[in-house]
Amino acid sequence: MGKVRPKKHAPHTDMTAMTDVAFLLLTFFIMTATFKSNDAEITTPSSISQIKVPDDDIMIISIDKAGKVFFGVDAKPVRAAMLENIGQAKGITFTDTEKAKFALQSSFGFPLNQLKPWLNMPKEQMPQVKQPGIPVDSTGASELADWVYAARKANNQLRIALKGDNLSKFPVFKDVLANLQSQNINKFNLITGSEQAPAGYTND
Amino acid sequence: MAAIEESGGGHGKGDGKVRAKKMSTRVDMTPMVDLGFLLITFFMLATTMSKPTSMTLAVPDKTDEEDQEKTEPLKASKVLTLFMGANDEVYYLDGVAADDDKAEASLKTTRYGFDLRSVIFASAKRINAANPKDEKGNEPFVVVIKPTAVSTYKNMVDVLDEMAITKSKRYALVETLTDAEKKLLGDKVEVKN
Repeated sequence: MGKVRPKKHAPHTDMTAMTDVAFLLLTFFIMTATFKSNDAEITTPSSISQIKVPDDDIMIISIDKAGKVFFGVDAKPVRAAMLENIGQAKGITFTDTEKAKFALQSSFGFPLNQLKPWLNMPKEQMPQVKQPGIPVDSTGASELADWVYAARKANNQLRIALKGDNLSKFPVFKDVLANLQSQNINKFNLITGSEQAPAGYTND
Repeated sequence: MAAIEESGGGHGKGDGKVRAKKMSTRVDMTPMVDLGFLLITFFMLATTMSKPTSMTLAVPDKTDEEDQEKTEPLKASKVLTLFMGANDEVYYLDGVAADDDKAEASLKTTRYGFDLRSVIFASAKRINAANPKDEKGNEPFVVVIKPTAVSTYKNMVDVLDEMAITKSKRYALVETLTDAEKKLLGDKVEVKN
């Protein structure tokens, strides 16, 4: 035949819809992403509790397996204000660079007298330093109590969460508790992983 | 939208040939999808999906002892006392006071999890059956939790969790051991170096 036939094309799928789906999912994941912070490695015990840990207005006191205590507050402005407060209370002046650097740390574990040298290190070295933990003792008036006070002064809406490692010994927890109770804090959250309630358990 | 010229075909103008219909210019979205899914994969991996949960713990006020209403001491027969020892062991006294003559004989050992749950359920059943409810309608059964220096934070959370599971509403976390209890437990709660 003299007719010139157009070339046969492979069947062509329209990918536009797929792109839509992909980007919808992408948006969702970007919105919900929370990145891992450089906190101490802590494996929390699990409980059947269903209450979610609040994201904002929260201070987290962590106890790692060696019994070292770390402290962190969620919001950057609060962190800077907290540092200023504790500086005022203890007569230490922190420079603006130190404050800015401190505000970037999601949690820290240094005695007050070692905090300044750490904040003056180059940024790259900071994560590599072994943190000795915040001094805590059973009198209820140790540095941890000062930090909690300074943090609450910076933001009085702060809720308090305790995050302890499976292997941390009870006496450390007891000391932390004494520090909180000395400031009339008698209600806090223990951060745990979630586990399935045993069969036959009804939530009421 | 950008338009891509359909490559190939090679129909110059004025071929004089019958030309195929002009294809509408379509953007090929496939690489875009690839990119999308690549990013999705990355964010999925970077996201921590399981948010931690939290249990609430309220402790009695310590600071002003005078204000505390005087409560009568608990009768030992209504109390299950749990001593948290080392190596995930629980020593318990079911309805017996530590300074009782029978205490030595009735101190038993159990493990966390199912065993402890059974102990609590059995004790609650026994005590609630034997004693009337108090005037506020509370169950008479009380658990006293005594963490010791050799127990871990996990043990404490486990026991508190057990309280939630067994719905034991009345429990107390007591940090100090009495002399009688110290004597009873002996070196089971000594910190070993």
